Amino acid sequence: MYGKKVKLRFTYLSLILVVLILSTYLVLKSLEENVVYFISPTDIKGLAEINYDKKYRVGGMVKKSSISMNSEQINFIITDYKNEISVKFNGVIPNLFSEDKGVVAEGFLKDRNFLEASKILAKHDENYMPPEVKKALEGN
Amino acid sequence: MINLIGNYSLIFALIISLGTMFFSFKNFKYNNILDFNLIVLVFLQFILIFCSFCTLLLAFINSDFSNLAVYNNSHTTKPLFYKISGSWGNHEGSLLLWLLVLSLFSLIFLIQSKKLSVSFRSLSIFFQQIIIVGFILFIFYTSNPFQLIIPTPNEGLGLNPILQDPALAIHPPILYLGYVGSSIIFSSSLAALVCKYTTNQWARDIKKWTLISWIFLTIGIMLGSIWAYYELGWGGFWFWDPVENVSLMPWFCLTALLHCSSVLEKRSSLQSWTIILALCTFMLSMSGTFLVRSGILNSIHTFANDPERGIFILIFLSCLILLSLIIYFKYNNFEKSNKSFFVSKETAIVINNWFMMYFLAVVLIGTIYPIFLEVITKEKISVGPPYFNQLIIPLLIPFLFIMSIGTKLDWIKNKEINVRYKKIVLLILSVLISYLIAKHLNTKILYSTVLISAALYLLFISILDLKNDKLKWSQKTSHLAFSILIISIILNSIFSEEQSVNLKAGEEKKLSKYTIRFEKISKSQIENYTSLKAEIWVSQNNNELIFYPELRLYKVPETITSEADIKTNLFNDNLVVVNYLKDTDYLNIRYQKKPFMLLIWISALMLAVGGILGLRKKY
Amino acid sequence: MKIRLSFLFVLTLIVFILCVFFLSLFEEKSYVPEKTNNKIENFSIKDFYTDKSLNLKILFEDEKYIIINIWSSWCIPCRQEHKHISNLSSFNSSKIIGLNYKDKKNNAIKFLNELGNPYDTILSDKDGTKAIFLGAYGVPETFVIDSDLNIIKKYIGPINSEIVNEIRNLLNDY
Repeated sequence: MYGKKVKLRFTYLSLILVVLILSTYLVLKSLEENVVYFISPTDIKGLAEINYDKKYRVGGMVKKSSISMNSEQINFIITDYKNEISVKFNGVIPNLFSEDKGVVAEGFLKDRNFLEASKILAKHDENYMPPEVKKALEGN
Repeated sequence: MINLIGNYSLIFALIISLGTMFFSFKNFKYNNILDFNLIVLVFLQFILIFCSFCTLLLAFINSDFSNLAVYNNSHTTKPLFYKISGSWGNHEGSLLLWLLVLSLFSLIFLIQSKKLSVSFRSLSIFFQQIIIVGFILFIFYTSNPFQLIIPTPNEGLGLNPILQDPALAIHPPILYLGYVGSSIIFSSSLAALVCKYTTNQWARDIKKWTLISWIFLTIGIMLGSIWAYYELGWGGFWFWDPVENVSLMPWFCLTALLHCSSVLEKRSSLQSWTIILALCTFMLSMSGTFLVRSGILNSIHTFANDPERGIFILIFLSCLILLSLIIYFKYNNFEKSNKSFFVSKETAIVINNWFMMYFLAVVLIGTIYPIFLEVITKEKISVGPPYFNQLIIPLLIPFLFIMSIGTKLDWIKNKEINVRYKKIVLLILSVLISYLIAKHLNTKILYSTVLISAALYLLFISILDLKNDKLKWSQKTSHLAFSILIISIILNSIFSEEQSVNLKAGEEKKLSKYTIRFEKISKSQIENYTSLKAEIWVSQNNNELIFYPELRLYKVPETITSEADIKTNLFNDNLVVVNYLKDTDYLNIRYQKKPFMLLIWISALMLAVGGILGLRKKY
Repeated sequence: MKIRLSFLFVLTLIVFILCVFFLSLFEEKSYVPEKTNNKIENFSIKDFYTDKSLNLKILFEDEKYIIINIWSSWCIPCRQEHKHISNLSSFNSSKIIGLNYKDKKNNAIKFLNELGNPYDTILSDKDGTKAIFLGAYGVPETFVIDSDLNIIKKYIGPINSEIVNEIRNLLNDY
């Protein structure tokens, strides 16, 4: 019915379309899986439901004299002066991590009061804090 | 005084730009011989900008603190090397360097393109001047490097210690050479569109410029990773950080362009696609500059946030995009040539381009998605490395296989698909080796086996290809380098080991594989910082390694940096980094094993060498 | 027709992206200094004219709040904000302390003779080490501090008439 050229072109076009749709699907799916949301301790209390398989970034201040540590792990409390959450962490602690300073911890929530962090984020300069932390603090 | 010279040369360069635009446009319209004035003007402009850059350099070397940029970024006690690198380490100076390279490249383009048509050359220079004018205005309005402070302060504010690293000092200029090289590709393809000059000759010329930008971009990206690995001490070389991604995107585009321009050169097809790639490369470089310089991106390398600068670049960027869009759609009518067959080199290259575009899209979306989401829904998110790994690594498998087959196909139509005995043996061999490696690891056997065998197969084929006379040396070298790079990255990521503990001085901790002992710490005062040197013993099966990682406490500006102690050999890197825990006696100690790091650097360098070999050809 | 359509499509896409970029320019991205109500330590510092050692607490005398302004004669924005400082001092009962930062005495005196001296007391920070106690990282910066040495408010960069009003309201509220 159609010429050979048209048929070839049709095959090409549909091939391109299939590939495009497939890759868009893959990208979207992977984005959805790997996006890390930024929340404050107060946000956690207000979450309708917690996804325990998803990473979160929790930002706030390290509560005064809440740090305790041993050779394997460090425990501390992140507070936004309204709500707080306990954090357990084993790994690299940035140089500027200390009490009463801003901190961002990334990891999995175990329940509404406990975060098992896999990463603590560092910043170069101790006068600075991540805008997310500022926002979290201002939000209250 | 000297500041004024710099400032005025810039103003003159701007005036000359306008003159050059006028002459080049006239030349394009009415002349068949290149106006000699044009060369003189472009040369003069280069000299002026060079002058202006030299005065800034001089101000930095002499620590002339009456200059604001010098005051903000330098200090009398800084070593000369960092004083010089300080001149482009800051925002203002780096833009001046951009401009310098831009005018240098225009000059080189004008001089060495003698074989090409005159109207095409003058029009390219015209577009090039638009970019130059944009940059000069940008420098004047938002980031003049020659601002004065009266009265002169005695001492400068110094440079962030973390930026005092040789790799970082030369990294920006090299990256810029890559970015700016793409500006030539941009103007030349716009001119080629208008003049309908998308010929083989043009493809050859553009390929040369593509190669130049590609080489510099490759080296620039490599130096950036070297800095991240050695100076930041995070025990990695690539973090999918937005600023890193921004330099990777034009690289994908350039790599695609590099391959498809040879199709245009040999077969005069794919013109339209070549042009699109050429335009995209520069747009990506410019958007990269915008994203980095405006501080929109949230990254470890944060520069100062200045909306005014951002708006200027954004407007400039939109003008360029609009210009190229209009020109592209107005002049884009190429004849379709459908002469090639499915199994041919063209198809392989087109498939390569598709893969490159896929990788580009993945990185692009991952980088700007958080920006979009924040603007639209006010939700703050970040896209983690797993996203990139999940989307890119599986696709590497077909990519590597096609890469190993594609090089040997013929143009137009492959005469015979001969499956040689040798290749099958190689394939089986690589699958076998990978299976053993994967089994040794005991995780995700099927996936790792296929991935490693694809990489190994490419490596074997590339080694075999070294004897193949049909291929060029540049191609052989860079393909071999690429296969080594991929293999070392894969093996590096699956064989890396990491342990971190918190210890007090004199304590020891037994872990499953190693014992880590924190022997002692010694304090000393060095120039502008206090150094804390720890002695850490790591033992594994009676093998003992002693590391001396260091902490540096700087007073002005108040910063702590960790200096890793890295023991390097060809197949393995062992490193220990310590971090300081305020108000405790503990040190946070991290021991890492990173195999094949040296191979990664060597193969990246070899990749660039391959590019340089490609330049050598005479036409 | 086909070209028109694709042109429009690409154009809208690009315009959309550029718009988002434009909007995101105004999102808060800069790394701002920490929460302002942190306490500072009492530190000793020399008086600008007499070179006598003072400490921060003494400066309060009976006042509940003081305003500290960090300035320097070589700092161009300081020149611009100077009239606002003068404004502030004429409206306000609180003490305004000037902290002269990394400056030569002669230049600083010339600066004050030229533009007027709105400060109740001027302190001298020749080598820039005292400003660190305040957590400042440049000139000009302005702090409102209470007698317990808590930083109530901190302004980075030159102040303007809006900020002057804000400070006045702030001190009236307390």
